[in-house]
Amino acid sequence: MSLSFLHPALLWGLAAAAIPLAIHLFYRRRPKPVPFPAIDFVMQARRETERRLKLRRVLLFTARTALLAAAALAIARPQLDAPEARAAQGPAGPAATAIVLDTSASMAYRLGGKTLLERAREDVLEVLSALGPDEPATLVICGGEAAPSADPPDFDRVGLRRRVVDAAQGYAHADLTTCVAAAARALGDPAAAAARRRRLVVATDLTASAWRLDAQPPVVSTPAGPARPEVTLLDAARGERLGNRWVSGLVAEPEPAVGSHGYRFGVAVSGEGVEAARDVPLSLRVGSGKEERTVVRSLLELPASGSTRKTLAHDLAAGGPVVVTASLPPDALPEDDALTLVVDVPRDVKVLVVNGAPSAVRHRDAAYFLEAALSGPASPVRATVVDAEGFGKARLADFDVVMMLDLRSPGPKAAELASFVENGGGLFVAMGDDVDPDRYEAEAKGLLPAPLHVVKTAAERGTPGAEAKAARLAEIDWEHPALRIFTGQAREGLESVRAWRYMLLKPAPRESGARVLARYDDGAPALIEARRGRGRVMLYASTLDPEWSDWTIRTSFLPAMQRIAGWLAGALDERRSAPSVVGAPRPLSLPAGLALAGVLGPDGRERRDLAASGDPAREGGPVLTPDRPGLWQLRIRDLATGGERIDPALSFAVWPDPRESDTRRLEPSELTAWFGGEAVARVASDGKPGGSRQVPLWSWLLLLAIAAFLAEGLLVSSP
Amino acid sequence: MLARLAGLRLRVRATAEGVISGLHRSPHHGQSVEFSEHKEYAPGDELRHVDWKAFGKFDKYYVKRFEQETNLRAWLVVDASGSMGYRGADDRLTKLGYACTLAGTLAHLLVRQQDAAGLAVFSDKVTAALTPRAEPSQVNAILETLDGLTAGGETRVAAAVSFLAERARRRSAVMVLSDLLDRDERLLRLLADLRRRRHEVTVFHLLDPAELDFPFDDPTLFQSMEDSRSVEARGRDVRKGYLELMGRWLEEVRRVCGENDVEYVRVRTDQPLDDVLLPFLARRERSAA
Repeated sequence: MSLSFLHPALLWGLAAAAIPLAIHLFYRRRPKPVPFPAIDFVMQARRETERRLKLRRVLLFTARTALLAAAALAIARPQLDAPEARAAQGPAGPAATAIVLDTSASMAYRLGGKTLLERAREDVLEVLSALGPDEPATLVICGGEAAPSADPPDFDRVGLRRRVVDAAQGYAHADLTTCVAAAARALGDPAAAAARRRRLVVATDLTASAWRLDAQPPVVSTPAGPARPEVTLLDAARGERLGNRWVSGLVAEPEPAVGSHGYRFGVAVSGEGVEAARDVPLSLRVGSGKEERTVVRSLLELPASGSTRKTLAHDLAAGGPVVVTASLPPDALPEDDALTLVVDVPRDVKVLVVNGAPSAVRHRDAAYFLEAALSGPASPVRATVVDAEGFGKARLADFDVVMMLDLRSPGPKAAELASFVENGGGLFVAMGDDVDPDRYEAEAKGLLPAPLHVVKTAAERGTPGAEAKAARLAEIDWEHPALRIFTGQAREGLESVRAWRYMLLKPAPRESGARVLARYDDGAPALIEARRGRGRVMLYASTLDPEWSDWTIRTSFLPAMQRIAGWLAGALDERRSAPSVVGAPRPLSLPAGLALAGVLGPDGRERRDLAASGDPAREGGPVLTPDRPGLWQLRIRDLATGGERIDPALSFAVWPDPRESDTRRLEPSELTAWFGGEAVARVASDGKPGGSRQVPLWSWLLLLAIAAFLAEGLLVSSP
Repeated sequence: MLARLAGLRLRVRATAEGVISGLHRSPHHGQSVEFSEHKEYAPGDELRHVDWKAFGKFDKYYVKRFEQETNLRAWLVVDASGSMGYRGADDRLTKLGYACTLAGTLAHLLVRQQDAAGLAVFSDKVTAALTPRAEPSQVNAILETLDGLTAGGETRVAAAVSFLAERARRRSAVMVLSDLLDRDERLLRLLADLRRRRHEVTVFHLLDPAELDFPFDDPTLFQSMEDSRSVEARGRDVRKGYLELMGRWLEEVRRVCGENDVEYVRVRTDQPLDDVLLPFLARRERSAA
């Protein structure tokens, strides 16, 4: 029988029991001297009452000390561990023991100043100490391996103890069902045949997500046939409820209202077994390492259990990959209190607008509407407008996209334009009265998605019935990245575009790879694109001024032009794959000419152990299995130059496994029933394998404190 | 109110004027100018007082008796030991102050009716003494002596008794004004001895209200007023025992005085002097009658 404390750190409170003694010693009141004639009577009275008073003082001192000591002890939650008849005990004799040590992420939960893994380690070491000299043992570290295995039981206690002590805290999800199955297989090894009993000891936190109770319970193969092992489950949580709150989701969506690089971050927060809370701080941090800074602070209202969602908005200022982290104040399981995301903020797109038919009248100027659309306050596009002469002098390499409006032909710039597109530039061509199909065919053959043919007039603008006769857009490819933003009623803004005149195109050769994004209602292509080398070319068969078409006055014009500019610049398809989960293999797609040189973990340290698995020579490219949540970075080597660098564009976020955040616990009876009932399985909620019954003492101590309080009151008030 | 009067003389005069004077007559019979009554002769009566004229008329022996007004000799015995210097509150007289006022008033009243008043002051010994005289100047002499008294020394009633045994050879009225806090257990027997010497003994037992009620609660260091003893005690812890002991002692003093025909008057120093003197004088008048 032994005494233990649930909160031993609070035993410091026992020092309060010394307060009465300290007061007695240091704060004793000095008696007031009074000359008195009948002192003989006082002396005699004192002699007669001295014994009674001394006893009363001792009782008073005892009552006060007991009151404080009992209260301090009660707060430390003492319990008496009384031995009881061993449950789940088979026939007497030496037992082969297989120990399963849970090192999953939930075991990092801190309870009473220790993590659950630290408690589990102590429990397992105690089990090892209690083994008899003729009892072999083996160990399974259950920390997220897909196929855990165990050595046959042996007598190398030193080795086992070292493995237990060295067992590191994992961050992945552990499948204890698989681990106990592996342990049961080890118990069936012929090396354990000499033992009369087979014993399975599992040190875990009993979280429900770690068990698959629909699977077959473990069975040990013995010479006499399959048998159920004796099972002892050592509860590292000591029967306590494990309340947890975690960031369960983080998504980023562009939010132009906030700024040109504005984003809306949807943060989901979940809780289990915690009290409802108001004004819980939620912060959004941007950057990583020393450059990380908090950009948004908000407050959450959290329900007791379940999830809530909060949307935060922020302008990420610059293009390129940006690390964003949403975090809660750390709780008992801090590993899941933050989620990181790498957001690819679209770069600024530099567009050269070539106005082939400038006009002094604004609304007749071909570039007026386009420039206005691209230069909106939240637009990532930076437009430069030149006329045909300026186009001749322009250096195309300084731009991402060239948009030619009503330009007669590329002229001398045709070759440079073709090279520009081949190397990844974007080209947009809009028609007009000045466009010469023949010259286009002669100067830029094969550059456009389809050869130009002739201008078709559906109706003369301004004539009666012209509105009805005008061509309308039809067969729009809503799935195209540039047009995907048009959903619901917003599509009407594109469907209502009318064209009185448009350029008919010659059929595109099959190998040209042209893709029609929209057609007029007569079937003629209205918007068509094609890839040329690493670049893209898009052609609009009408004008971007009100001369041939009214698209410029439709609501769809502004977003469509910005999206098209982004698409042609290649900014829209820079989409990052979703974050990984701890323990899940992640294929790394490296650009051509690059090789993986190293992996940096969330703590900024090089992970040589993991870099080895990222072998570029493996089939299907390197694969990395991150073992902890946070931002992972890749160091790459340029195969041509041999130089190495960390490429932010290849960084990726790893999230904690949500199953480990869900700390709901199994009822001990559920688990023992799965193992075969109380005849073979028991849960030691005190973590003691020997079997003991815990008798909580705090209620008795509180009663003692109350009794001491009452006794103190009686003694003080008695004459 | 008495305590607020500054001087002893003033206090004495104020008290004396409030008391009805001449209430008592001398209990002694003998040589006087004023015939009182005849009494049938009994063996032991002086033959010179036999009224021979009455024998001639009635053939019986009668003895003449006379009243005399001025032949009482009174000793005022004042305790001036250290314990008499106590007062439990600032607005009260010390026990010595009260005793001096009482003694002065009694001297004034006695001399005024031609009785002889004397004084003996004692603590551990007799420190001052005035032989009883009936002259008016005696009052001044007594008051002067009393006015200069300060409390100090131990209480030894035996010293006063020895002094009186030596000096008061004639029958006298002895009025002892003391708190009787004498560590000598023979105290009461010594007072009884005075009575056996045919003196009329009256004890004015002076006590401060604080000695009777013990109004202390907190931890207190009680210091003796006559020697270096002290004791630390919390008032409320010892009050009950103290009051029991005090009550038993007072009862014992009263009982012994009664048994030995010693008149006992207990006086609280917050008590008006009129309340003490008037009943006392009335009792003496009744007994004289």
